[in-house]
Amino acid sequence: MIGFARAVAPFAAFVTLWAIVVAVFHVPQDVMPSPNAVAVAFGDAIRKGVLTVYTGETIRRILLAASSGALIGVAAGFFVALNDVVADIALPVIRFFQSLSGIAWLPLFIVWFGFSDKTIVVAVWYTLFFPVLFNTVVGVKTVPRVYRNAILTLGGDWRRMVFDVLLPGAIPYIVGGIRIGAAFGWRVLIAAEIVIGAGGLGYFIFKAEAFHLTARIVAGMLTIGTLWYLTDFFVLRPLEEATIERWGLVHR
Amino acid sequence: MGTRPPLARAKQLRGVLGFVLLFAIWQGITSSGLVKPIALATPEAVFSVIVAGIADHSLLINTGVSLERLILSVIVAGLLGIALGVAVGLSRRFGSFVEPLAAFFNAISGIVWLPLAITWFGLTWKMLLFVIANSVFFIIFFNTLLGIRTVPRVYEQAVFTLGASRWRSILDVIVPGALPGIISGLRLGLGFGWRALIAAELVGATQGLGFMIYSAAQYLRTDVILAGIIVIGVIAFTLDALLLGPLERATVERWGVYQ
Repeated sequence: MIGFARAVAPFAAFVTLWAIVVAVFHVPQDVMPSPNAVAVAFGDAIRKGVLTVYTGETIRRILLAASSGALIGVAAGFFVALNDVVADIALPVIRFFQSLSGIAWLPLFIVWFGFSDKTIVVAVWYTLFFPVLFNTVVGVKTVPRVYRNAILTLGGDWRRMVFDVLLPGAIPYIVGGIRIGAAFGWRVLIAAEIVIGAGGLGYFIFKAEAFHLTARIVAGMLTIGTLWYLTDFFVLRPLEEATIERWGLVHR
Repeated sequence: MGTRPPLARAKQLRGVLGFVLLFAIWQGITSSGLVKPIALATPEAVFSVIVAGIADHSLLINTGVSLERLILSVIVAGLLGIALGVAVGLSRRFGSFVEPLAAFFNAISGIVWLPLAITWFGLTWKMLLFVIANSVFFIIFFNTLLGIRTVPRVYEQAVFTLGASRWRSILDVIVPGALPGIISGLRLGLGFGWRALIAAELVGATQGLGFMIYSAAQYLRTDVILAGIIVIGVIAFTLDALLLGPLERATVERWGVYQ
């Protein structure tokens, strides 16, 4: 109970401060709506079904892109990393594509697929795929050669080598890749939804801007924040804790 | 280390070969007619767009405008992020209050603010600064914080035992110890900032590389789009390599983790 109170306290204090500032300085509603107005806009958008439909769209897109991007990224990463020559040839190119955000490709994807759902998913997929691929290659290459030789000497075949030696050894790097890929991918998703206008929470907040529905913008932002916070808290942070913190790098 | 240079050279040559292969594939599929120029411009067409853009300065101006926005945002966000990171890292109580809020705002950092920022500032440079600095700030803040928390307590206690003041312990132990975290925060910040910048420029600017490629999409000019993508990519790659390279050499390669 105390833990819960402590977790909620900063947010309660923040909302109180926000309400006081808006009330005391008479901030116009279209500049910064009061928490109350945002709650009303939130309820309104849910009752009309817009918010629920758009949230569903956004979740569907991130799940689709993240699951396929991570799976194919890890598989392709092993394919590249297992041969030294292939890895040397491919790694700089992969690093180039990783540095280049999916959002920069968006105009080209628009030419290819139009202002459609496909354009959004492809841009997010791209953004997730390359960090996972890159980190998998680096992770596999950091597993000492001796370990590979050891399992081969013990009579293990390549399958044992991949699943018992290389995969466990590369996991911290793969997790890092997924984490950064998800962070970039989530932002690209919202950005692409703003630009493309084929539904989703990005579209929801950008459309609200056109009608100066500031309370609706803030309600949409809070929904986006909550979704990402939950993903981070229940999926990404436990993953990280299982790797970095277990190695005892955090002291305080 | 004596055997390193020839090996490293072979590695570099293979790396160059990767880009040559990529270029050859691109040339092959476009000039053979497998992919139409309206879907993917030929390397020659893209090259001539770049040359023309340099000759009439339009490409240089768009690049300069984008870089200027990035640098300004990273300076503003960096100063604020490091300052708040150090403050929160030093005080547990302050941290337990600020951290959950920062984590939440981190979740909506950057492009999510675009509609609200447009409402507040219109389509101005202030709007872009707000959106980009916003996306850079949190990554620098959290990395500074992590950097400070990885400084072992013993080191701090050691200087205290030697009679140092709180201020000395911050300047001589905590901040230098947190430097790797701060540097990786700045590096990631540049990457996040550059991505947010391109995204914000797509819809919220009338100049810059993001604007250039998005307006080209409306005329189906894949040559201009690809020229923009290459410039954006080269800058992102350089930002990454410039800061990542030395860092990696100092840590991963020195510890001999690489095979």
